[in-house]
Amino acid sequence: MDTLPDAFPSTQAGSAASYTPGYPTAGPLIGGENPESIPRIKVHDPPKFDLDSYIANYVGRTRFDRLYLIGTSSTVLATEALKLAVAEAKSGKDVVQYEKAVRALAEAAPNEEDASLDTAWVRNVQRQVQMQSERLEQELRGYKNNLIKESIRMGNEDIGNHYYETGDLVAASKAYTRMRDYCTTPNHIASMLFKLINVSIERGDWLNVQSNVHRLRNSQSKPEDQAKNQPKMSAALGLAQMHSGSYLDAANSFLSTESSLSDTFNEVITPNDVAVYGGLCALASMDRVQLQHRVLDNSGFRNFLELEPHIRRAIGFFCNSKFRPCLDILDAYRTDYLLDLHLQPYVSELYALIRTKAIKQYLVPFSRVTLDSMAAIFAPEVVGGEAQPTGVSSPFVQELIRLIKKGVLDARIDLEKGVLVSNQTDLRTEVQNNTLESLRSFNEEAHLRILRASVLHAGLEVCAPEGERRSRMSHPSETRGMGIAERFTRGGLRS
Amino acid sequence: MDIVEGLLTKSAQLREAARLSDEGYDRQIRANVTSLRHVMSRGSLSSNDSLFDHFDPGADSLAYLFLLHAQIHALQEASCETVPAGLLPPGRLWSRMVSYLKAFDPVQVRYAGQEWRQLVELVGQAAQMASKPILAVRLVRDAMLRLDPSCAVFTSTHLLLVQLCLRARAYAYALPVLNKFVCHFPTSTSHATSRSSVVPCATHDSSLSFITEASGLSSNLTYKDYLRYFLYGGMVYSALKKWCKAAHFFGVVISMPATGSISMIMVEAYKKWVLVGLLDKGKLCSHPSMIASNVVKIYQSLAKPYVNLAQTFERGDRKALEAEIDAARDIWCADNNMGLVSQVMNAYSKHTIIGVKKTFAALTVTAIAEQASPAHTSDEATESIIASLIMSGAMEATLVQLPNRNSSTMLRFLATPSFRQLSRESRVQTRLMQERHSLEALVDSLDESNRHMGLSDEFVDSIQKGQAWARMSDVNPGMGEDAGLEIDEDLMGEVS
Repeated sequence: MDTLPDAFPSTQAGSAASYTPGYPTAGPLIGGENPESIPRIKVHDPPKFDLDSYIANYVGRTRFDRLYLIGTSSTVLATEALKLAVAEAKSGKDVVQYEKAVRALAEAAPNEEDASLDTAWVRNVQRQVQMQSERLEQELRGYKNNLIKESIRMGNEDIGNHYYETGDLVAASKAYTRMRDYCTTPNHIASMLFKLINVSIERGDWLNVQSNVHRLRNSQSKPEDQAKNQPKMSAALGLAQMHSGSYLDAANSFLSTESSLSDTFNEVITPNDVAVYGGLCALASMDRVQLQHRVLDNSGFRNFLELEPHIRRAIGFFCNSKFRPCLDILDAYRTDYLLDLHLQPYVSELYALIRTKAIKQYLVPFSRVTLDSMAAIFAPEVVGGEAQPTGVSSPFVQELIRLIKKGVLDARIDLEKGVLVSNQTDLRTEVQNNTLESLRSFNEEAHLRILRASVLHAGLEVCAPEGERRSRMSHPSETRGMGIAERFTRGGLRS
Repeated sequence: MDIVEGLLTKSAQLREAARLSDEGYDRQIRANVTSLRHVMSRGSLSSNDSLFDHFDPGADSLAYLFLLHAQIHALQEASCETVPAGLLPPGRLWSRMVSYLKAFDPVQVRYAGQEWRQLVELVGQAAQMASKPILAVRLVRDAMLRLDPSCAVFTSTHLLLVQLCLRARAYAYALPVLNKFVCHFPTSTSHATSRSSVVPCATHDSSLSFITEASGLSSNLTYKDYLRYFLYGGMVYSALKKWCKAAHFFGVVISMPATGSISMIMVEAYKKWVLVGLLDKGKLCSHPSMIASNVVKIYQSLAKPYVNLAQTFERGDRKALEAEIDAARDIWCADNNMGLVSQVMNAYSKHTIIGVKKTFAALTVTAIAEQASPAHTSDEATESIIASLIMSGAMEATLVQLPNRNSSTMLRFLATPSFRQLSRESRVQTRLMQERHSLEALVDSLDESNRHMGLSDEFVDSIQKGQAWARMSDVNPGMGEDAGLEIDEDLMGEVS
């Protein structure tokens, strides 16, 4: 089991200050001018969801992570979410989590009664955890002495579960990995791999998630088991691919997730999440035809989309080239997505991709289009507010300029008439220029090579010591010359 | 006077022989040259100016040449200087030399190459001594083209010409020679390509057959000579702002084969090559593919400021570029590259303005000024830069001044320059023809190179080896070819 370079110490004592959630390096930090001092995106608008019912969808440690993220990101829900997070942590056995939540709450709302550390509880839990760790290790040693495979496997599993609950993720994944040798049935292997996947997801080790999913796929389990595991595998794989920035792959993985997922994977992802992640990734990476065929006409994915109808509406609008309503829907849900554990780092990038694609799509039928009509669709807030909505310094025009410079848009801006002109290539001129250029470069290179060969032939290479060169030059060239003359006059060579 | 009589009869014989076969003519010229050299060595040709009147510089090239040398020699001995005052431009002997170089017979001169070359060099030296190098430039150039219209074989005269041009600042005069592709170097022996044209006076496909090391038409060459020729040639082109050609010439210098270490001339050329690439293409060009990677590293470490400058240029940061130019001012001056560097800023403006074309179809001059030109220039200055760019044909656009006095001038790039289509087409056609001619010249040179390589002893050795291998595997000995080769090897043994 490889450990991540940023892995935290696997012993629990004294690790209180160094615990960080596993994903801070996973994605770019957006929105902060200074990423070092402001590690989190701040969200000031109230989200559309209700916190209690939202968090009720999840089970396990992801509840705490999600609550903590909402608490530290949203200014509106900070107190509420952090209080829930403190309560959540206190119901478990993870002291580090608890301390972290209390610290965050103390920053957000110092006057809350939960904002002070319950030291008695902390000490108590620490002692319990310590005791249980020792007990489980002791038991495992006993099992190992008895050489009963099944017992050793279960002992390792118990230890893994224990470390997982107490937040020592590296130790947990080590314990789970140790189970491998003692697994006797495909079911055991599958369950072990799922545990590893869960731990890796929480650690943000997306490479490990992917490799474990592949292992799971190649394991020789029964077809019905395989079918049962498929939705969880696809969802986990999609998540890992989204985190590694390959949105098209992620979209494909999410799209192939069976609707039988329902709430079997709630410790990581809910069907609603699958719909949102899959929908956004697809919007950002697929063209209109693909969207229609593979998302809207996909009967399996439709079940997911029904849970998040606005995503389906957005995709539908995009396919019908109604970009303004599509972007409106996405903007309306931006806050929600910014408060999502997995989506947060990628929201800006995904939205930018979708917007760029929309602009590109919008331009397809036009040879020239007025900037005003484009601004009305893609920058409505500018049209109302500024005196010169399509001047060179307006943000929308600047965005277009950036896109053109990047080569995304094949068009040019006419600021006099206020239109965007799509480029028409003059093939004849282009061919002529290319021909001339290639002729010229060919001639130059041919000259270089001929000259080089002549230099070598004449023995005039550039070389350092003057004296050495002279002697080398004068001597052999003379005899060589004679040799050639002799040979030539004989004429025997040419026959 | 009987010497003069003798010379006259010889010349008359030569004129007769010109109508004979090549071999006869060859024999006659050789005899003539030998007797002339003999006469010369006795020093019996007195410095009598009237002697020249008996000879025609065109038809009696050889006699005239040796007479000139005799006179010069006498002057040199009298004054104990290599270039005596009597030779300097307004002088009597100078005008003799001029009229000779304008009219000499290119075929006869092939046999007296050394004397001819010395004369050309003297003309160059004399013009420089008189601080009028311009007088020699055209003479030397026309003499070179007269001797060898293809100019494809590198001689020391090539180098002399570009040096004179640079001294005289008469850059355009060198172009007729520079525009020809130099592809060969004089080889140690003359081996003609076919049996009928073994003699120098015959008509040759390539000047390589008569410009040899033995002919004396070029002095002994070292690697420095051709490196300097191409470096100076590149400088001539850069002075004429023909960046593309200049880049090619510098590219030649930097990509020449080097054993072990490289020459400082190559480093100089690399510096200029980087700058010229910036001025022409607006970017750091990729190296010619045949430069070894370790050599590239040496260049880059020795020309660090230039590479940095190019990288700043590419990044498109005007302020940083200005700072870079200012910071290394001493280096530019020390390398004598200040002239090129000072054009970099203008090139930057030009390339940014042309780059704007990719994004905009039309925009105001004010908007361009914000991106392209230095912060302190006014709109009018930017406008004039743009106007000059349009006039020079660097970009196809129009400036429209709007009736409204407050609004800035509008620059509109033309998508399809239909009104200039016809002139464009003809221009393309001429350029295609030019490229075709150079391609043909190169193909000829390539053939010539192939022939020479085929006769080089390395190639012959490898052929022999190959045949030896073939013979060893061949069960049936006694092939005619094999026998011939064996005798050939024996002969070689006797020779060496």
